[in-house]
Amino acid sequence: MTKKGIKPRTLDHLQDFGCTIPALILILMFTYFPILKLIQISFTNWNLLNDHYDYVGLKNWKWLFTGSGRKYLVNSLKVTFLYSAGELTITLFGGLVLALIFNTMHKGFSALRAIVFMPKYVAMSSAAVIFLWILNTDNGVLNYFITRLGGRRVDWLGQSSTAMISILMLTGWRAIGYGMIVYLAAIRSIPKDYYEAADLDGASYWTKLRSITLPMLGPTTLFLFVTTFISSMKVFQSVDVMTGGGPNRSTEVFVYQIYSYAMEDFRMDRASVMALAFFILLLVITASTMKLSNGRVNYDT
Amino acid sequence: MLTEERTITERNERAIRNRRAISVLQWVLAIAVTVVAFFPIYWMLITSVKSQEEVLLLQPTFWPKEFHFENYANVMHKVKFAKYYVNTVIMTAGILVCQIITGVFAAYGFSKGQFKGKNALFMVVLGALMIPLQVTFIPIYVMFAHWHLTDTYLGLILPEAVSPYYIFMLRQTFMSIDDSYIDAARIDGVGKVGIITRILVPMCRSTLFTVTLVTFTSGWNSYFWPKIIAKEESHRVLTVGLAKLRDTFAGQGTMNNHEIMAGAVMAILPVVILFFVFQKYMLSGYSKAAMK
Repeated sequence: MTKKGIKPRTLDHLQDFGCTIPALILILMFTYFPILKLIQISFTNWNLLNDHYDYVGLKNWKWLFTGSGRKYLVNSLKVTFLYSAGELTITLFGGLVLALIFNTMHKGFSALRAIVFMPKYVAMSSAAVIFLWILNTDNGVLNYFITRLGGRRVDWLGQSSTAMISILMLTGWRAIGYGMIVYLAAIRSIPKDYYEAADLDGASYWTKLRSITLPMLGPTTLFLFVTTFISSMKVFQSVDVMTGGGPNRSTEVFVYQIYSYAMEDFRMDRASVMALAFFILLLVITASTMKLSNGRVNYDT
Repeated sequence: MLTEERTITERNERAIRNRRAISVLQWVLAIAVTVVAFFPIYWMLITSVKSQEEVLLLQPTFWPKEFHFENYANVMHKVKFAKYYVNTVIMTAGILVCQIITGVFAAYGFSKGQFKGKNALFMVVLGALMIPLQVTFIPIYVMFAHWHLTDTYLGLILPEAVSPYYIFMLRQTFMSIDDSYIDAARIDGVGKVGIITRILVPMCRSTLFTVTLVTFTSGWNSYFWPKIIAKEESHRVLTVGLAKLRDTFAGQGTMNNHEIMAGAVMAILPVVILFFVFQKYMLSGYSKAAMK
């Protein structure tokens, strides 16, 4: 034992703690501290164009929940949940159907699977410009196919009724392969004995699907539901590149609205209340889906 | 006896026939799905080598009449595409280096390390998973504007310099390694850093590699923060630059789609190549997360 200073054991513990310090400092600075700062800004009337700001109490909160901001809050909630519902349907239902189609050990299939999964790695902004071109009203190839089949040209991004569908096409293209891969991994891990036993009973494909495969996929479905739901709430890029929130705010999702208050209107006060509302919404969704899954899901993503 | 045998063979035959029908159906559907999934990529590739007149035809051609590879050079001339590339490489490399260093050390501290409040502090890390940049970007932007970090590489990298996800995944792997390796090394006089770099990291390299690939692609493809913090062309990254190509060609409308597609091909190439080379790791990264 050294007499002066720190004991070697304590020093050892200090070193271990030291290893975590860089990460902890960065996390505190760029995750937790900004939340406090947001709360502070939400009580001011800060416009980025002025250097000066005053504290105005609950004015911004009132503006958001009872004032003129309410209308847009409700709209962006509706739009975001609509988008979420679309992405969830494509990832869960579409992913499951593809997993069943692609569930073969045959070598050729692994190449096909890779192609279906690849769009996930195409950056969203690249994917969005590709879809802008495919969906182009006059020269787009999708409208060409539609007219060949006897339909009329659709102004995909120019009208409220189809703008969200267009964004979901882009999302679906990138997300469906992910759903497929996750479901495939789960299907592969179902013990073969179940199917062999069912075969002895002469069970048909559909019977096996209904009474073995689907029930065994419950936890995976829950995992996909929770993670996709939360990540879909944060949608921004596809909207920013494809529609800019329009037309008539029909694709103005939550994050896009926060962004435009802050970076286009320079209203830091309003953007901050909106961001805090978004944070609370995410917490509520996370807490309720965790309760739903009751700890059966692993949040490894 | 005899009838029973016959029904069994009959049943087997029917099962085999069914299985064959299903496998044919699977092939047909799988190929159809693949064609649809690949079409946008194909369309991007062939549009990128078409001439302007051909792009504007009302009846699109499904194979280019002539190959115009100069479209690629044109994009490089009209905007600072090479600059976007360099910026993206610097940003992604910076994020990778920072996340690996902070992640490996923190993962060691939270797995094999011993100190008071370890679990409580780890909860702080996990809690950060629930606070995305989409919530916190306003104060960070204000802070960075104050520190003159807008339009700098440091500004692009810093908010992504640590990843709670990376720490979490590595901690799980480090915990699976038996303490006896570490004790043995310690007896041999290997220090903390040596234990991390010479024992834990090499033993966990496949997980480390998979997680790092995820970090690389999400860094390369990131858009939200670069768009906010880098307004000038000097620090614009590929994703933002590509989305802005339409504004750059403003007024020319759809006329420049062949060049925009050439830009898109160049922007996604590194990640797509990486995907096909390291397919096994990339697929396992996702399914590993979902299993258990």
